[in-house]
Amino acid sequence: MTMIKSSSTNKTVLELVDVVKTYISGNTQFNALNGVSLKIKEKEFVSITGPSGSGKSTLMHIIGLLDNPTSGQVLLEGKDISQLKENQLAQIRNVTLGFVFQQFNLLARTSALENVLLPLLYSDVPKSKREAIGLEMLKKVGLSDKIKNTPAQLSGGQQQRVAIARALVNNPKIILADEPTGNLDSKSGKEIIELFHYLNQEEGRTIVLVTHDIELAHQANRIIIIKDGKISTQNA
Amino acid sequence: MLKPSINDLFKSSIRSILKNKGRTVLTSLGIIIGVASVILLTSIGNGLQIYISQQFENLGANTVFLAPGKIFSDKGGFNNSSSGRFISTYFSYTDVSNLKRAVKNVTISPVSIATVKVKSNKTTKTDVSIVGSGYQYAASANYLPSPGNGRYFTKEEEDKKADVVVLGYGIANDLFPSTSALGKKIIVQTKNMKIIGVLDKKGGSFGGPDVDQYIFTPIGNVFDFTGNQHINEMLIKTQTKEQVPQVKDEVTKVMLKKFDKDAFTVFDSSQLLSSINSIIGMLTVGLSGIAAISLIVGGIGIMNIMLVTVSERTKEIGLRKAIGAYPRAILIQFLIEAIILSIIGGTVGIAIGWLGSIGINSFFPAKVTLSSITIAFSVSAFVGVIFGVVPARKASKLSPIEALRYE
Repeated sequence: MTMIKSSSTNKTVLELVDVVKTYISGNTQFNALNGVSLKIKEKEFVSITGPSGSGKSTLMHIIGLLDNPTSGQVLLEGKDISQLKENQLAQIRNVTLGFVFQQFNLLARTSALENVLLPLLYSDVPKSKREAIGLEMLKKVGLSDKIKNTPAQLSGGQQQRVAIARALVNNPKIILADEPTGNLDSKSGKEIIELFHYLNQEEGRTIVLVTHDIELAHQANRIIIIKDGKISTQNA
Repeated sequence: MLKPSINDLFKSSIRSILKNKGRTVLTSLGIIIGVASVILLTSIGNGLQIYISQQFENLGANTVFLAPGKIFSDKGGFNNSSSGRFISTYFSYTDVSNLKRAVKNVTISPVSIATVKVKSNKTTKTDVSIVGSGYQYAASANYLPSPGNGRYFTKEEEDKKADVVVLGYGIANDLFPSTSALGKKIIVQTKNMKIIGVLDKKGGSFGGPDVDQYIFTPIGNVFDFTGNQHINEMLIKTQTKEQVPQVKDEVTKVMLKKFDKDAFTVFDSSQLLSSINSIIGMLTVGLSGIAAISLIVGGIGIMNIMLVTVSERTKEIGLRKAIGAYPRAILIQFLIEAIILSIIGGTVGIAIGWLGSIGINSFFPAKVTLSSITIAFSVSAFVGVIFGVVPARKASKLSPIEALRYE
């Protein structure tokens, strides 16, 4: 059922088993996710898409360990993360996952380099090595000449590339991108997607792209369509 | 597992504080004012105590006072019951001779005070206090004119009630504004008297009489002015400090033969000093306590601005959590910010309080103590912790999803 592209291996990095997420508001219950099971293989480029309100953001938050499922299991590299404490989850988010947001979420009035270095503050990487890593990441996203610029001095595309450099700085296995091109013009958006392809194919990183844009979703090797809190289709 | 290091947290807190310089200044203002006023008030209290101690040192540690009425309460402070307020007791020459007979190795100086009218060739002054005493009084009470300013009267002059006076610094200037008073004549009531000495400037004690406005003369002259032989107080000088307790006991024993125990008081300067100091101490603590209320107000100001900061930076907090900040890292970051704000306020407040007390010191005794600085500094840091905890906890408990969605 799942088609595996040549770049991916057979090893599962992330698995969801019958995940339910229920929101309670007053007397009404609402199942944002209604029994979702999926597997994401190592070095895969997957997109999750669906109409607004379908539950894709909730799914993204659960995959990103930002939210706990009401029931069901989340297995990261075979390990059940539902038993982990807040501090352990934070450490996994820091080391194993890299986030890219629609709003970039860079710190204002803070240089590109310092923004990139932010996750290292919470990591075990020794201080002496941090700056070199940050510079290398900025070079990778093509912003070596903008290290001192603040977000206000960068274009939208450049800001998103700083955000990607930040996501890469701890050398994560999985990159989670939530509508990464939503705030960009089509040219910059295309460049960002190319960057994801590079990271996937050349560096072997697993990419999970969440978007409502079906055309963009087709950039991935596999599309997961979600509707009313359930996976409706998984295909290439 | 303290990540990030305190150093990193400190840097990022400093940076975010510097991003809002105007706000930082205004926020710290409450702490600045609170700390400055605490420092200032304690420095004034402390300065007063030092000043008064010095005044008493002039009297000497080996002096015993005998005064009418009950001066001290049983609890150690000053007596303010109604029985002690109206002093109707006075001593007589019989008491002086009784004491001289019973207590050995001391110099007893009886003192009698009257209010008189004084006239020089230039001006007239009324309600002047004239202190009549024995010739030894000046040495006992440290009222000897310094060289070049004349002398105190002698035993012979005392015995024959010579018409001589020694003027306090202030009244000498009042009576003879343009010339030296030494050697001039003044009219006291109706008596012509010669000025044989002028005292140095002594300054007034707080609330007490101003020695500079006193006139000193042999005690017999004062008896003539008042028309009786009442002695108001006695100054008993011992030879050593160690003698003081024994002399106090002996004097008390003699006086009890004739007087009720509440009709007179025998005390030494250390007793008086400790009573005054305990009052000043209480006043200082009370006033500083009032000033400390502004520290609490300042702390609330810091809490308020930190809550605003947390709201403003909700998105940043969400992001930090998403990229791996654990709750405690966020808590410490915001706590450090609050502490830095209040320490900035504390430091500036200490500087202002210090400068202020230096300024005040030119006309009022004030001295900053290390302990008041230490206390002010730790209190301001403490205020930062107490009032920083609520906003910092709020920040650390934000859900990353909610925080990232926050607009």
